[in-house]
Amino acid sequence: MFDNFELMAEALLEGARVTVVVTLASYAIALAIGMLLVVMSVSPAAPARWAANAYTQLFRNIPLLAVLFVMYFGLPSIGIETTSWGVGLVGLGMYTGAFVGETLRSGINSIPLGQAEAARSIGLTFGQSLQTVILPQAVRVVIPPLGSLLIALVKNSALVLAVGVTELTAMSRRLIEDDQSRFDLWGVIIGVTVSYLVIAFVLSYLVRLAERRAAFVR
Amino acid sequence: MTRQNESTVLFDALGPKGRRRSLIASIISGVVILGLLAWAAFGLAGNGFFEASRWVNPLDVLVIETTWIPAILATLEAFALGSLVAIVLGVVIGFGRISRFMPTRAASTVYVQFFRSLPLVLLIWISFTIDGHFGFTSEVLGWDGDARRLTFLVLGLGIYNGAILAEILRAGVAALPPGQAMAGYAVGLSHGQVQRLIVLPQVLRNMLPAVLAQLVILLKDTSLGYVITYPELLHSANIIGRDYGNSFLQALVIAALIYFALAYTLSKLVVYAERRLRKKTATPAKAVERIEMAVSNQIAT
Repeated sequence: MFDNFELMAEALLEGARVTVVVTLASYAIALAIGMLLVVMSVSPAAPARWAANAYTQLFRNIPLLAVLFVMYFGLPSIGIETTSWGVGLVGLGMYTGAFVGETLRSGINSIPLGQAEAARSIGLTFGQSLQTVILPQAVRVVIPPLGSLLIALVKNSALVLAVGVTELTAMSRRLIEDDQSRFDLWGVIIGVTVSYLVIAFVLSYLVRLAERRAAFVR
Repeated sequence: MTRQNESTVLFDALGPKGRRRSLIASIISGVVILGLLAWAAFGLAGNGFFEASRWVNPLDVLVIETTWIPAILATLEAFALGSLVAIVLGVVIGFGRISRFMPTRAASTVYVQFFRSLPLVLLIWISFTIDGHFGFTSEVLGWDGDARRLTFLVLGLGIYNGAILAEILRAGVAALPPGQAMAGYAVGLSHGQVQRLIVLPQVLRNMLPAVLAQLVILLKDTSLGYVITYPELLHSANIIGRDYGNSFLQALVIAALIYFALAYTLSKLVVYAERRLRKKTATPAKAVERIEMAVSNQIAT
């Protein structure tokens, strides 16, 4: 069943490596965009709020695949040279950023109003109450949903195959459609499935670890 | 004091100086954002992006009739069937996960963990490929290409989203105040009766916003039919773009806008359901909060 096992394992490992790199890099981009969005959406400047809201609505309601295609074929016409990797990472990051922004915002909103009032009533300034009362609580609230976004991103990262990045799914496709048919269908399927399961389980374990470290009793 | 959001509580009402500063910030951010948009628009215009013919050609009446409308219908068909499969599977697996019978619980857990870890695009493409390899649907059942593509798109969407819906329902059961079930047992209902008469109706109603939000995602995910060349919107846009070589980007943008219109309408429905939930139910605010956390925990794709 596992014809040319070593060759297959090597290819799948390479695919898994690309998947992990794409996931982590685009997650970093998404976190940066999400933070920018949440700052914009609570800022007193109305245009910034509108822009943040428009961005979020746009990316939440258009399929990731369509986002990637439009960027891949659209960016060159505004004078930005594109590469598969560039569009893959930035597109995935921009798309996920909208979700990160929403998560962060709902995290801040989930802190009971009384906390902010109490902080203000003992005379803390805006910066102090944010720093010592609101944010430490908000961070703990958003860790689980941010973790599930990361795990969802592993799966979404498969879509960068559409712009030509050979990650795990694209690699397995290449193996199955190998022109010398050196690889067995079931072998590749088992291999790719196990790879994704391992990545997902390792990441969920790390997320749970982070959750536990941040856990607190209210 | 009216409350709009947290930030208003965090600082005092702005004085004249602060108001001036915030006005300046508004103007600067407005100019920056408009500048970015204008820069992009000029770049696009410079490449003839807005040329009328490039938009008119892919929106020709004939093209609309023969390609766009069938594409929208194909997308909606996959969405409707996929939702149906997902909801049925979600309810069955979701209640399997809290079953008192251990093997049922174990099987449901394995199902959820397994299918939640795999990319949907892989599920759709692999099931399609396996079937193509053995020729089951094409030779034994004698289906044509499009029926096969629809089947495996719907199966993929249903199986994957079924796992997610199961988790949503389980979270809903966990968020229900335990007193509800206890009260049921106290008046002498059996376990099955408690689940059917007390837990399930409340969970379904409470989780309606979360379920609908997941269906919005399912709608967007129909675009993955692209990988098995199911004639949905994105795939059709590519074909139109190839037919009218000058309008490739325009066709993609049109498809994206149609997706936006469809998904936005559906997500408005989510907001409406959420508002009704807040107003109508006897569910305590604390539980609503927990449900909302569960919902935001589920944001996938």
